[in-house]
Amino acid sequence: MALLEVRNLKTTFKTEDGIVAAVNGLSFAVEPGSTLGIVGESGSGKSVTSLSIMRLLASNGRIESGEILFKGENLLLKSEAEMRKIRGRDIAMIFQDPMTSLNPVLTVGEQIAEATRLHLGLSNRDATAKAVDMLRLVKIPAAEKRLKDYPHQFSGGMRQRVMIAMALSCDPAVLIADEPTTALDVTIQAQIIELMNEMQARLGSAIVLITHDLGVVAETCENVLVMYGGNMVEFGTARQIFDAPKMPYTMGLLESLPRLDQAGSRLVPIEGQPPNLLRMPPGCAFEPRCRYRMPICKEPVALYDFGAGHLARCFLYDQRAEGQKTIPAENATLIPGTAVAPPQETRR
Amino acid sequence: MSKAPDLVVVRDLKKYFPITAGILQRHVADVKAVDGIDFEIRAGETLGLVGESGSGKTTAGRVILRLADATAGSVTFEGRELIGLNRGELRPLRKEMQIIFQDPYASLNPRMTVGSIIREPLEIHNIAHGAAADERVQELLRLVGLQPQHANRYPHEFSGGQRQRVGVARALAVGPKFIVADEPVSALDVSIQAQVINLLQDLQQQFGLTYLFIAHDLSVVRHISNRVAVMYVGKIVEIADRDRLYDNPLHPYTQALLSAIPIPDPDIERRRKRIILTGDIPSPVNPPSGCRFHTRCPVAFARCSVEVPAFNEYEPGHRAACHWVEEHGGKAPDLTAGSAVVA
Ligand SMILES: Nc1ncnc2c1ncn2[C@@H]1O[C@H](COP(=O)(O)OP(=O)(O)OP(=O)(O)O)[C@@H](O)[C@H]1O
Ligand SMILES: Nc1ncnc2c1ncn2[C@@H]1O[C@H](COP(=O)(O)OP(=O)(O)OP(=O)(O)O)[C@@H](O)[C@H]1O
Ligand code: SF4
Ligand SMILES: [Mg+2]
Ligand SMILES: [Mg+2]
Repeated sequence: MALLEVRNLKTTFKTEDGIVAAVNGLSFAVEPGSTLGIVGESGSGKSVTSLSIMRLLASNGRIESGEILFKGENLLLKSEAEMRKIRGRDIAMIFQDPMTSLNPVLTVGEQIAEATRLHLGLSNRDATAKAVDMLRLVKIPAAEKRLKDYPHQFSGGMRQRVMIAMALSCDPAVLIADEPTTALDVTIQAQIIELMNEMQARLGSAIVLITHDLGVVAETCENVLVMYGGNMVEFGTARQIFDAPKMPYTMGLLESLPRLDQAGSRLVPIEGQPPNLLRMPPGCAFEPRCRYRMPICKEPVALYDFGAGHLARCFLYDQRAEGQKTIPAENATLIPGTAVAPPQETRR
Repeated sequence: MSKAPDLVVVRDLKKYFPITAGILQRHVADVKAVDGIDFEIRAGETLGLVGESGSGKTTAGRVILRLADATAGSVTFEGRELIGLNRGELRPLRKEMQIIFQDPYASLNPRMTVGSIIREPLEIHNIAHGAAADERVQELLRLVGLQPQHANRYPHEFSGGQRQRVGVARALAVGPKFIVADEPVSALDVSIQAQVINLLQDLQQQFGLTYLFIAHDLSVVRHISNRVAVMYVGKIVEIADRDRLYDNPLHPYTQALLSAIPIPDPDIERRRKRIILTGDIPSPVNPPSGCRFHTRCPVAFARCSVEVPAFNEYEPGHRAACHWVEEHGGKAPDLTAGSAVVA
């Protein structure tokens, strides 16, 4: 059994322009001790997915359907009181901007101790000792002294470490990290990534790492989920995704990237603009920008199974597209019931 | 390759921002944002300027264009000193030097149509008016890959990549020779960045433009630059031809910076050795004594905290400011020795 499994998640937001389906039928699973990378462009639904799992959506958001199974139990059926116990203890989250999730009026030590008191039932003294241990673990110098400092007295990189210390203080089974290094400088980013890898090796937590940096994914993740327009368009091991991407968006993303280890040659951009969730194309969400598009791509597209866990959402691998195919492409196994039409405009 | 003449020459340029305190606004300290930098930009080339947040890249770009006043030093453009010129004297030079901003959302006036945004510099500089200006706007829109009918739309009706194209069109309107591009793709989605980078390269070819390309993304900088300068807390620590800098970095900071960039290839990532620096980036208000990098440098020795290292030339065009390199006859320290292989 997977540790965390998301099945057919659909999350919508009420906005002035209509109902936006930010996540539309997403399914994936996370195994214990593994790292799953979620990549995709801005607005593709990465943060909404993680906030749905934590049940921390903004008030205009709603989980319309689906299941979120943690150790086999559906989190969507839990009461808010039950969720409060799960958050932090079983599933912890690190946000992109540490300032929004650290309490500015409490010292860093109080915040870490509070979590272990609440979730692990530690006494005040044990909780404080644990907080010192955690700060040492994330390599905050003079941890005992820094315990009494407030978040604003730390640099950006150190705050991110404090967040990691806090998130890991109750040994959560799953750690969801939403762009944990995006706001940081590269030399500091490297420190944090190393720290997260080290922590995982030590504590055995599963990590869901959300990022737009494919380099970070290559460095840290076993599995990669690529999102586009609110849904999964490709899933596989890092090797599968980087060596033999199947979905044209993934291919385009890798080609459009200037690489540190390859100078010179002209970049191959993905033409066009990212999709507008209020005006989605009827079939494949990527169709308007896809250089391999075919007439059949205007129909809802399913996931295809390439074996060894590699999945992609693209008609190039459907035998019905034979005769329309714009590049040679093998036929893969269609997974029944996975064809979803992108959300259509629903004006009120 | 024969060396092109220098278009811009920067010498010992400094920009301090005063910090004041109390009701009397007493001057208590300075943010030494740019603290004595030297480099040249050759006609027709792209010089990449990289460095972490707060290292002074934007400030350097703005002072070079005289969008901010220098505290000290010299900037010449085609041999002409810019520091000390008054507004009237600068005016004709503004046509020659333009800037593209980082944030395509904040840098365009939301109440002006895209057409009037591009048209404004044409009129200010008396380049075209009336129907001729309209025609030039259409031509510029086409040049940057937008439609002529986009002239009547407002910035909010465009995506980030399209807005950045508008910013490029505005900068090109006056026919400049030199453009400071300050993080022109940082705010864009990965899939859109390549569109704007290709556009900048095409325009450079077509019009023989010279770029100072500011970025913190070293992969983008490697792709677009002929030469690259690395900044750290207000100083340039190394400058060299692109491939030389990336293949043979001398300064320990350049080495660490390059090794910190993850490469989107799991096979390479697993074989790579990394240099993980300890400590935080120092503040430009109280920069460390001697070499500013000595607080984080794995090979720092006694001299480093006392004496400011000279910006020596070790190979033609390859300069670095580091005592270790100087004392080892231009050799780079091996920082990967002993550090872990990323598993
Ligand atoms: N509270 C909200 N109200 C309305 N729309 C929302 C809300 N939160 C998110 N959305 C919309 O849902 C979509 C997905 O957003 P999400 O934050 O998940 O994107 P993301 O993939 O995390 O992007 P980024 O890389 O920019 O963080 C976007 O179109 C966004 O505008
Ligand atoms: N107008 C100003 N007044 C006071 N300090 C300033 C001003 N502008 C910049 N600074 C300071 O000067 C230093 C250099 O800033 P600058 O914006 O040049 O850095 P940068 O290298 O462009 O960074 P980034 O990558 O974040 O854009 C910073 O410490 C900044 O806070
Ligand atoms: S001068 Fe010293 S401290 Fe500075 S980079 Fe060189 S060795 Fe390191
Ligand atoms: Mg997000
Ligand atoms: Mg800047």
